[in-house]
Amino acid sequence: MRGTGLELPRATVGVSRWRRFRAAVDWPLILTVIALCAVGLLNLYSATRGTRHHAKFDTQVKWMVFGAIGFVVATTIDYRALVRLAWIGLGTAIVLLVVVRLIGEDAHGKGSYRWLNIFGMGIQPSELAKLMMILALAQLFQEGDLSRTPPLVLVAKGLALALPIGLIAIQPDLGSAVLFGLVVITVGFLVMQSVWPMVHLTLGSLLSIPILWETMHDYQKNRILAFLDPSSDPTGNGWHTRQSIFAVGSGKIWGKGYGEGTQNQFDFLPEHWTDFPYSVWAEEWGFVGSVFLLAIFTFLLVWILNVALSARDRMGAVICVGVAALTFWHVVVNIAMVLGLAPVVGVTLPFVSYGGSSLVVFLCAMGFVANVSLRKHGY
Amino acid sequence: MLLKSGGSGAGGSGGVALPELHRRLRWVALAGIGALIFLVARLWQLQVMKGEGYYERTLDQVVKDRYLPSVRGKILDAKGVPLADNRPAFNIYMTPGKPDQPLPAREELARLLGLSTDEIEQVDHRLAVGRKRDPKKPILVLEDQGRDRASLVEQALQRLPGVEVHHEPYRFYPQGDLAAHLVGYMTQMTSDEAERMLTTDTSELVGRYGLEAAWENYLRGKKGIERYAVDARGQRLDEKTAATLIQGDRVTEAVPGANLILTIDLELQKLAEKAIKDARVPAAAVVMVEPKTGKVRALVSRPSFDPNVMTGHLTRQEYEMLRKDPRKPFVDKALRATYAPGSVFKFVTAIAALEDGISPDETHLCQGYYELSGTTFKCNGTHGKQDLIGAIQHSCNIYFWKLAETIGLDRIAEIARQFGFGTPTNLGLNGDGSGRIPTKAWYEQRTKYKIGYATNAATGQGDVEVTVLQMAMAYAALANGGTLHVPQVVERVEASDGRVINSFQPMVARQVATTSDSIDLWRKGMVKVTNEAGGTAYDHGHVDLVQVLGKTGTAEIRTHARKKNEEDERDIENWNPRRSHAWFAGWAPGADPDLVIVVLVEHGGSGGRVAWPIAKQIIEAHYGKQVKPEPQDPLEPTPKKVKP
Repeated sequence: MRGTGLELPRATVGVSRWRRFRAAVDWPLILTVIALCAVGLLNLYSATRGTRHHAKFDTQVKWMVFGAIGFVVATTIDYRALVRLAWIGLGTAIVLLVVVRLIGEDAHGKGSYRWLNIFGMGIQPSELAKLMMILALAQLFQEGDLSRTPPLVLVAKGLALALPIGLIAIQPDLGSAVLFGLVVITVGFLVMQSVWPMVHLTLGSLLSIPILWETMHDYQKNRILAFLDPSSDPTGNGWHTRQSIFAVGSGKIWGKGYGEGTQNQFDFLPEHWTDFPYSVWAEEWGFVGSVFLLAIFTFLLVWILNVALSARDRMGAVICVGVAALTFWHVVVNIAMVLGLAPVVGVTLPFVSYGGSSLVVFLCAMGFVANVSLRKHGY
Repeated sequence: MLLKSGGSGAGGSGGVALPELHRRLRWVALAGIGALIFLVARLWQLQVMKGEGYYERTLDQVVKDRYLPSVRGKILDAKGVPLADNRPAFNIYMTPGKPDQPLPAREELARLLGLSTDEIEQVDHRLAVGRKRDPKKPILVLEDQGRDRASLVEQALQRLPGVEVHHEPYRFYPQGDLAAHLVGYMTQMTSDEAERMLTTDTSELVGRYGLEAAWENYLRGKKGIERYAVDARGQRLDEKTAATLIQGDRVTEAVPGANLILTIDLELQKLAEKAIKDARVPAAAVVMVEPKTGKVRALVSRPSFDPNVMTGHLTRQEYEMLRKDPRKPFVDKALRATYAPGSVFKFVTAIAALEDGISPDETHLCQGYYELSGTTFKCNGTHGKQDLIGAIQHSCNIYFWKLAETIGLDRIAEIARQFGFGTPTNLGLNGDGSGRIPTKAWYEQRTKYKIGYATNAATGQGDVEVTVLQMAMAYAALANGGTLHVPQVVERVEASDGRVINSFQPMVARQVATTSDSIDLWRKGMVKVTNEAGGTAYDHGHVDLVQVLGKTGTAEIRTHARKKNEEDERDIENWNPRRSHAWFAGWAPGADPDLVIVVLVEHGGSGGRVAWPIAKQIIEAHYGKQVKPEPQDPLEPTPKKVKP
C-alpha cells in the first residue's frame, strides 16, 4: 500500500525530468496551503474593507508572493543541505533577537521589543527563530541515538535551542516563548528514542511556572487573570476575550454572512486581523464554516505527518514533525484564545492571520515539507 | 489510511525513517483528535447552544435606543394665557468612549465654545459618569445652551466626532412665581418612578407639586424612540447600514402631552397677588370662587417660589433658605395649611341656633366680659344689648357664646360639617387639607368635655381648624343659597391639536339642609359688616363700586402653638408669630354674587384692619375694570362733566 495516496511512476526511465518533477511535487499539500491562504485573504478583505486598514489586504498579497518565492526556494534546495546550515541559521536568529532587544521598535508602546526594521519591512526575528529551530532539531535528531554525540556538543546544542526561548520571553513575548517550548517538547516526544528526557523537561517547566509568574510584567499577569475571570475587567483586559466570544457565538450555525459580521465590521474587536481572524471567520460563516476551517488545518497536519512517515530519512521526518508541531500549536493556541479557552497571547493563526513574518515563515515551513516529500523517492 | 502507511518507497534502510514516530503515532493522533474535539465542542457550545443569546448581545452592542422627548402639555388660564409652557433648549451630548480612547472632540469643543474651567470640569465629570454607565451611549455634557453655541457646534460637527446637539423642549413658567403653588414644579424622577414609567433615563423630570404633579398623566405625553446603529467607538453608522441591522420601525414619534385649561382667571390672580404685595404682609392666602359653579378663579398662597428655579436649577443654598423660612413657602396656605377661622366661622353657630328655633330678635347684653365656670373671658368691645344682626355687625363674641351654651357643641359641629368643614374639599391638589371640627365625643376621647369648648368653637377658636379653600366653598354656599360645590380648577383637557379630551362639569357636594331663612339672616348681618358704620370692615374702608357682603375674623393664636425658633423670625418684616390670623370672607356684587373672596393673612392681626383692605383692593380693581369700558349708568356721569 502506498503511503501517499498518490500514484507515483514506478519506472522513471524514459520519463522527462519535468514530468518526474511534476509527479513528485506534493500537490495535496500545495492545494491545502493555497486553500488556507485564500481563506486568509477572503477573511482579511472582509475584516478591513472600507476601513482605514484596507491597505492591509494589498500588503498581505505582496507578502504572499514573497512567501511563495520562499516556498519554492525551501522546496528546491535539498533539505540535507539546508540542515547542514541549521546551527548557523539559529545563531543568526539569536543574534537578531539580541539586536531587536537593543535597537528594536516598540510597536505597542508596552515596553515590548519584537520588531526589527530591515529595508523598511517590519520583521520579527522570533518567527525566523522558529524556522531555524525546526532545522536545528532535524540536525540534532538526525541520528536516532543521541549517546553517540559528545556530551559537550549536546549541551551546547541544547543551550542554543533554549537561548531563543529565553530571549523571546524577555522581549517580552510570552506566547511565542511558550509556543517555542511546546514545539521543542513535542518534537522531542515524537522523535527521541526514550520519552523520559522530555517527561523530565515537561515536569521541570511546569514546576518553574511560579518563578516565571514572579518575573512577569503586570500587563501579562493581568491578561492571564482576565482570562481566568473575564468579567473582572470587562472593558480592559477581558474586553478582547468577551468580544471575541460574542463574535464567535453570534455566528450561530450558518453565520451572519460574508461581510456582515457586526463585531468585526464595527470594530468591536480591535486588531482582529492579526490575532483574532478566526473570530471574524466564525462570526460570518458560523459553526459550519468554523468546523470547515478546522478540518482544512486537520487535513494539513495529517498530510504533513504522512510525509514524515514516508520520508526517506530520519532528518526529513524530523523536519516534518517539527513543522507539524509548529502548525498544530499555532492553530490550537490561537483558536483556544479566540474561543476564550486560553489567555490572549500574540500567537497567529497560520496563513489566515495578517502579518508578513508569520505568513512567510509558514510558507517556508511548508516548503520544507514539500522538499522532504519531493525527495522521498530519491529524486 | 494515510497515517497507517509504513512503507517509505526509497528510504534505503527498508523500514520507516522514524520508527519512534510510527510507534507513538496512535498517541499523537489521540492527543491531536482530543484537542480538536475540545475546540469543536467549544464551538458547538458557543455557536449552536448559546448562539442565539450571543447574537442578541452583538446586536445590542450595535443597536442603541434614544428617547425622543415628548412636548409636555401646557397649563393655560381660562382665557388661554399660559402658566406653564415649553421653550426649546439646546443640549450638547457626547459619547464618552472607553477609558483608554483619546477624546479629541473634548478639546475641540472646549476651544470652539471657549468653555470656562468650571464648564470643562462639568463636562469631564459627566463623561466619567457616562463612561461608567455605557461608554457608547451619548451623555448630556452641556445642558440648555444658547442658540449661538448650538449653531457653532452644529456647524463644526465634522470636527467633533461623537458630539451631538439635540433640541429638547424645556419646561418654562412665563408667569414666574404667580400662582406657583397651583402650577407646581417638576424635579428629576426617582428610580421607582422611572421604573413605573418604563424609562431608564432618570435625568428626566416629573411633576412634583401642584398641577404638574396631580395631572402628570395628562401633561406627560408619550416619549418616542429612535433606534440607531453605532460602531465600537459609539460613532453613529449611516442610515443604509442602520436599515440592514434594525428590523421594524426605526423611529416611533413622540406623542405630545395634553393641555390643561384652568378655571383660573389670571387677571384676578394677578390682582390678588398684587394686593398682598401692596399690603406688605409676610404670608397670606386668597381664594376666589364662582359661587354658582364652584369654579376657582384665583388661588394665592404667599410667600411662594419661582417654579422656573425649582424645575432643575435650584441650588442647595437656595433650597435650604426656602426650607428654613418660618413662613414656610413650600406649604400651600390656601389648600393645605389649616387655621383657626375666628369670627368668619360664626355663621355656623348662627345658622345652628336659627335652625334650632332661636329667634334672631332675642337679645343678649354685652358688658365686655363673660364669666364661665369661674373664668372671665373678654369680648372685643363692649357692645351693649345685641340681637343677631348687631352681633354679626360688631362681631360680638358674648352673643355667640350665649348661643353656644344653649345649642351645644355637637350642633355646631353638625352644621360645620354640612358646610364641608372637617373633610377635604376634593380638589385633589397639594394635599388638600381636611381641618378639624371637634365634637363632644372628640374631647371625651382626649380629656374631659367642658362647656368652654363649645363657646370656643362658636367663635371659630379653640380646636376648630379649617383651610382657606374650605372657607371659600362654605361662603360660596352661603352666597348661592345653600349649594356646596366641589371646587373645580381644571375646566377641560385638550389634546395638542385642540381636540377636547375631557371637559369637566361643576359638581355639587351637597345641598346644605337649612331653611333659607337662616342664610338670609346671616347675609343681612354681612351687609352691615361692610356697609354700615360700626361694621368691623366698614370702619376700615368701603367699596362704592359694587355692594360687597363680608365678614371679618381675627383668630387668636394659642400660646402652646407658638413656635420655638422665634429668634430667626425677627428679621422678617411684619412677622410676629404671636399675632392673630386676620380673615375676611365675603362676596360681590350683593344681589347676584359672582365672586366669593376669602383672604387670610397669617399672623396679620385684625381681620378688619388687615384682611379686609386686601379684599377691598381686589374687588375694586376687578369690578372697576369691568365697569370702566362700559359704564352701567351712562346718564349719571355725563351731566357731572357738564356742570363745572
